[in-house]
Amino acid sequence: MTTTRPTKLSEFLAGCRDEAPLQLGVAPFGMLYSIAALAVGMPAWLVQLSSALVFAGSAQLAIVQMLSVAAGALPIGLTAGLLNLRHVLYSASVAEYVRHLPRRWRLLLAYLLTDEAYAVAILRYQRQAAASPTDLKDAAPGQSMPDLRHWYFLGCGFTLWTCWQLSTAAGLVFGARIPPEWDIDFAVPLTFLALLTLLVRERASQAAALAAGVGVLAFAPLPYNLGIVAAILAGLLVGFGVAKCRGDRP
Amino acid sequence: MSTAVLILLLAVVGGATYLFRYSMIGIFANRNLPAWLRKLCRYIAPASFAALTANALFVHGDKVALSLDAPKPWAALIAVIVAWRTGNVCATIGVGMAALYLLKLFF
Repeated sequence: MTTTRPTKLSEFLAGCRDEAPLQLGVAPFGMLYSIAALAVGMPAWLVQLSSALVFAGSAQLAIVQMLSVAAGALPIGLTAGLLNLRHVLYSASVAEYVRHLPRRWRLLLAYLLTDEAYAVAILRYQRQAAASPTDLKDAAPGQSMPDLRHWYFLGCGFTLWTCWQLSTAAGLVFGARIPPEWDIDFAVPLTFLALLTLLVRERASQAAALAAGVGVLAFAPLPYNLGIVAAILAGLLVGFGVAKCRGDRP
Repeated sequence: MSTAVLILLLAVVGGATYLFRYSMIGIFANRNLPAWLRKLCRYIAPASFAALTANALFVHGDKVALSLDAPKPWAALIAVIVAWRTGNVCATIGVGMAALYLLKLFF
């Protein structure tokens, strides 16, 4: 590499910078959750605490929506749990990149492993892995190029966490004044769309995405949000199959 | 639901979510990912985000609504084009929202 050596701070700040644009979609999501949670009678402190405890927008919103129709604790727990099951896959996906880190780092990064932080961090990991396959081996201490990408990951997670907590708080304060005609909830699928187009630059990934997208529609009637997990698994298998047929070329 | 039950529910969901997020990181801390899993991992991000996008756009509860005489699918299409051409998240969200507001005047 001819560029200046990355430092912990520069990696962290790069993570913050790359994560920042996504907050255009995260902030409305956090506010919507707050508004909906207040509307079903959740106390404000619990609305905020839940954003720190659960720290998963779609599950938090699902819990609130089910509370509004007076669903029981068990179905709500199952729905929210299965909705978050995809995080097991994210965990598998980052496992090889964080295994060399001390346990406290792994515990912290796991807490920050949300959709939007994962997407940005994994792009960083995969980009560098493609450029230099021996990168992980170079990560041993004392080598000339230490692997500092966990600082980048931390920057992404930190930015998202802060925005999520602040937007939850903002929703508690200003929520009732946002007219529904503004459709701020539409920023959420737009964020996912933007991430998706960054992630599907090769044939097998495109096939995986297409299969998962169609799968979600096909599996929608499954209970407890099982459809999303089933669709993702279908996408994985299709991507795997297409890569195999093409001889594992990228 | 009483506040106490709700707190318990949120703690359980939060705990489960954390366990999901840590699960594979913990399991594969001291051993290698099997080759097949490593290959599957490559498609986790695209498959997950495609599923989340399609779910947010077209699934309402357990019903699928693919109607094309609504502004949102068209605004999403415009956003995809912007995302594909620019790779810029801000521009995608900005143009997508602007397209939605404009299209709402016509539908």
